[in-house]
Amino acid sequence: MQGFKSIRNLPEQDYFTGGSSACAGCGPSLGLKLALKVLGPETIIVNASGCMTLLPLYPNTPLKSSWIHNAIENASSTAAGARHGLDMLGNEDMNVVVYAGDGATYDIGFASLSAAATKNERIIYICYNNQSFGNTGFQWSTATPYGSETKTTPRGKNNPIGTTVVNKNMLKIMGAHRVYAATASLAYPVDFLNKLNRAKERDGFSYIELLGSCTAGWNYDPRMTIRISKLAVRCGMWPLYEIENGVLTLSKDFSELKRIDEFLKLQGRYRALPQDGVDRLQVLVNEHWGELKEYNGHRYV
Amino acid sequence: MREEELPYKGIEGIPIIKEPGSAAKVNRGSWRLVRPVHNRDKCTKCKICYTYCPDAAINWTPDGPEINLNSCKGCMICVEECPTDAMTEEKEAT
Repeated sequence: MQGFKSIRNLPEQDYFTGGSSACAGCGPSLGLKLALKVLGPETIIVNASGCMTLLPLYPNTPLKSSWIHNAIENASSTAAGARHGLDMLGNEDMNVVVYAGDGATYDIGFASLSAAATKNERIIYICYNNQSFGNTGFQWSTATPYGSETKTTPRGKNNPIGTTVVNKNMLKIMGAHRVYAATASLAYPVDFLNKLNRAKERDGFSYIELLGSCTAGWNYDPRMTIRISKLAVRCGMWPLYEIENGVLTLSKDFSELKRIDEFLKLQGRYRALPQDGVDRLQVLVNEHWGELKEYNGHRYV
Repeated sequence: MREEELPYKGIEGIPIIKEPGSAAKVNRGSWRLVRPVHNRDKCTKCKICYTYCPDAAINWTPDGPEINLNSCKGCMICVEECPTDAMTEEKEAT
């Protein structure tokens, strides 16, 4: 299938309206708007509890598609059930999409996600990763990067770093399930929607992880949402790549990365990170990027 | 599909939202401290503001973007991302 080439020829219809209760400049809300451009109204969105649960508040909804909300543990099971039900009714064109946060993906809902991926159910799983449990007030999750301050890992005299553990490599885990796994960024909507189109056409499980910048938690000016997403990609904090059948392909390849300082200084959650913490984070980012460069075009998992 | 054709009728007593996109009529303009202003002369119709608006408050018309101030929460992403400075910001009267 011919992919989209530029922002100018992305689909013009929107199946998402304003008036939701999301914050001004909300990244995940923008991700849902973009995703619905490709998915269309014939979509069932299964949501695990999180920020995006608050989009349809009775009696209003910003969505022009169907929406099921379920508990944070079992969004994937619900989606698999919806898929089987639709298949029995003979409705195979309907898309079933999970839109869940990183808390529901990395931590609490991981068992059901892993089961659905292992059984290769025909659903698309989009994880909007804001690198914390954002809805409850920015607590630490296993997606939180090294050096970030959260409510449960505050900086102090004994611990100036904040989060001292390194976040887990979810793409590698999902790649090892032999499904289609990809990362996406809001600043590269053409790349995101092409990946979503690819996932839509596959006969099996697809996992797309979107970096959903969170203005309240990351503590930055809402106008910087896109700029921060772009810097995350350019600095190597959020490399764009896809894994299919265990083979890794870099979607955006740079000969040289920018220093991460540029990305960090825009955000309040890194404001008091000491220099040795920044250096350690830079080493971690370089290691990950080096690994991706090494395996580009080769078997990764 | 019309409502009476829907196979699922819902459970009695539990309300379901029947009108898609009904939030569009909710006024979120009161959240705004600054408002975006579009200048038609500088606009190159690149669709960047329209694509990046998280609240779908910018509608696309053949003449370029049209800002829906009822939905705009004033995040100013359009002003920040506009490559030709066709979007500018203006303080809301308080």
